[in-house]
Amino acid sequence: MIKIEKRNDVSRSIYFLTPVLAIFLTLFGGGIIFYILGFNPIEALKFFFITPISDLYGLSELLVKATPLCLIAIGLSFCFKSNNWNIGAEGQLIFGGIVGGGVALLFYSHDGFYVLPIIILSGAIGGMLFAMIPAILKTYFNTNEILVSLMLVYVAKLLLDYLVVGPWSNPEGFNFPETRQFSESARMPILFDGLRIHAGIFITLITVFFSWLILYKTYLGFQIKVSGLSLKTAKYAGYKGKTMIIIVFMISGACAGLAGVGEITGPIGQLHRNISPDYGFTAIIVAFLGRLNPVGIIFASLIVALTYLGAETAQIFLQVPKYTGQVFQGMILFFLLGSDYLLFFKIKFLGLKKNEL
Amino acid sequence: MNTKLKVSEISKIYPGCVANDKISLEFGSGKIYALLGENGAGKSTLVKILSGVVKPDEGKVFLNNKSIKLNSPLDAKKNNIGMVFQHFNLFDTLSVFENLSIDSDKKNQDLRVLVNDILEKYNFKIDLDIPVLNLSAGQKQKVEIIRCLIRNPKVLIMDEPTSVLTEQETDDLFISLKQFSKDGILIIYITHKLKEVLSLCDEVAVMRKGKVVSVSNTIDEKIESLANKMVGENLNTIKKKINNFKYSEEILKISNLNFKSDDPYETNLNNLNLSLKKGECLGIAGISGNGQNELFQILSGEIITEGTSIMFRNKEISKLNPRERREYLMAFSPEDRISQAAVPELKIYENVALNNFKSSNFFEKGLVNEKKIKEHSKKILSNFSVNTDNVELKSQFLSGGNLQKLIIGRELITSPELLVCFNPTWGLDVGAINYIHETLIEINEQGKSSILISTDNDELLKLSDRICVIYKGKLSKIMNADTVTAEKLGILMGGGSID
Repeated sequence: MIKIEKRNDVSRSIYFLTPVLAIFLTLFGGGIIFYILGFNPIEALKFFFITPISDLYGLSELLVKATPLCLIAIGLSFCFKSNNWNIGAEGQLIFGGIVGGGVALLFYSHDGFYVLPIIILSGAIGGMLFAMIPAILKTYFNTNEILVSLMLVYVAKLLLDYLVVGPWSNPEGFNFPETRQFSESARMPILFDGLRIHAGIFITLITVFFSWLILYKTYLGFQIKVSGLSLKTAKYAGYKGKTMIIIVFMISGACAGLAGVGEITGPIGQLHRNISPDYGFTAIIVAFLGRLNPVGIIFASLIVALTYLGAETAQIFLQVPKYTGQVFQGMILFFLLGSDYLLFFKIKFLGLKKNEL
Repeated sequence: MNTKLKVSEISKIYPGCVANDKISLEFGSGKIYALLGENGAGKSTLVKILSGVVKPDEGKVFLNNKSIKLNSPLDAKKNNIGMVFQHFNLFDTLSVFENLSIDSDKKNQDLRVLVNDILEKYNFKIDLDIPVLNLSAGQKQKVEIIRCLIRNPKVLIMDEPTSVLTEQETDDLFISLKQFSKDGILIIYITHKLKEVLSLCDEVAVMRKGKVVSVSNTIDEKIESLANKMVGENLNTIKKKINNFKYSEEILKISNLNFKSDDPYETNLNNLNLSLKKGECLGIAGISGNGQNELFQILSGEIITEGTSIMFRNKEISKLNPRERREYLMAFSPEDRISQAAVPELKIYENVALNNFKSSNFFEKGLVNEKKIKEHSKKILSNFSVNTDNVELKSQFLSGGNLQKLIIGRELITSPELLVCFNPTWGLDVGAINYIHETLIEINEQGKSSILISTDNDELLKLSDRICVIYKGKLSKIMNADTVTAEKLGILMGGGSID
């Protein structure tokens, strides 16, 4: 007989160590999968996790991928900490991209230092407004934010599709589903010649810092914390629950919007159908792997970014589909949830008893 | 059929706390045993060990001189140890009979016959086919007891069974328990209510800080002697409240309070009107579930009702939320101290910051002023004799009494004009109860008012200047406390009327 019991107290160091355990289990699980596929697991894992970051270009690519992941995950942590389940960061990212991209196209013939900040700001506002839809529906009509935010992802995707095929498509683009390339002053400055790493990383780092400040040092952060732990207490303390739901969604949406605008003004340079390889969804994994903690999220975003790169390398060298990356992301989440379960509960094997046979 | 239950050298250590320290006790059938102790004395742990919920680190349990293993509640059932917990484990929407048949392996017809026999034998009047949610607390408890009786228990353990019962229901329970005892069932009765020990039990074991400090016959004991053993100090008899009526100023006036809920588990309130003078304590009695919860939330501002007028110090506050009402010098101590008044996972000083005023400057320009909050918390801990000076301690590690002192302290340190408290001493030990009672009397003497919503009649009679009863969402007329007796309250609480 197996019995499951709740643990009374969980030590803080173990709480932050289990994500590391989850990563090791993922490596192990990945090794088994590669073995079944007929590869030498050690070699394959090396291609997946070491080769991609063994040169400067690889490291730069790692940061390029980690930048949006970290930014979105930080925003999501505001929602998740206060028990608001925003699953639609991908949609907010795309909508931020659309608004930012629209402004970039509007300023196509303008030159000047002011162009990029306006684009970035409008992207953030776009994501913010898009995230307010599930928030307002939740507060005033009691809808489920999980469903609404998730469904809105497809609305944003289809809107982007329509725009890049229709009204915003490049007039000299031979009907390819993409807009013009943005002008130079609408692009994120590149930090090093020949590498793709761009100034968006500073936006991410600044956001991380301010998020830490808000979450741990301000009244708003305190209210978020209390609401996340006990809604009853938040109500008793007189926190304005509705306003807070809207605020955390706004922050979360703005971060996702920033990530979107960072992608289109950074590595991509235009709008097209696939401006995000599901960063908005993967960031959910990043947020939880990082324990909703700003510093934790930085590390988590680097690790998850590596699975994107690893998948590309594996596709080239091992001829496995790049979706292996998603398998690894899935495994990380799976093992994290699994080890969390063991963290909060213990399983006892009691052995079979005679009368139960 | 003689039953002997023996626990020998039982120890259970939780991180940072010895819950049971080499406990040895012997029980025999035919008697009712009291296990008496403060909250945190280790009674619950011992009971959980006997019912298989918790495994001891050391020690053994013997039933009729045979060592038994209690690895799970199932093992306890197999060994004919029955347990009625303080909180009921019943499915509200299922019928009484369905609740009984869930964990029974008997055929439904057989079970019905058996249950009917039990109902008849002990004169229980319960309709087996109505949903449990329509039952009173006392009836629900009877369902739990029947659930145990179905299994022919040798041992029946009752954990704080009277905390939710009316006096009438308590009397009924005691009659039943005595009858069970006559029928050879060994009864272990866990409580911190001294009167109950003396009126019900034959032997009493007193626990303090994880140890058994005394085992004696109740005939040889008095309330004072038991209380002294329990808290280990001589209790001062509580000050009688001085009814001086120095003030005549009306501080609170509620008119036309109506509340209609969509939730079938909540109680609607009908046309409540009340007023309160400065320095006065208004007691609101009633059996739990008659609208106290809703009334408290309306007073605190957690529920905003339409059409109600709440005048507090000549200002209309009916539309304000709890935080805004605090600015007008109201304070609130809810019934659920563990998960509403405080958050167990938060540190003491964070819990203190929940009661935030503009003038307290806990949050300056939106930033947390940790230093200020901690200073303030230290003041509360020492002024209200909370048993720690570590403001970084998570509040889940405070005992019930200390947590309540912290909460009352947090609410009172800002010198509010009105304190609304709901069952402030629920589940606390004598020492803590006395402390809270004295504090409540003290604030009245300082000219501050209080509303005491409570299900404990002794407490109400001791503290209130005027008392009314809430029954099915309606208030009785408000009476002067000198003219009220426990009997009168009992009649009103049961829905009767007096002249």
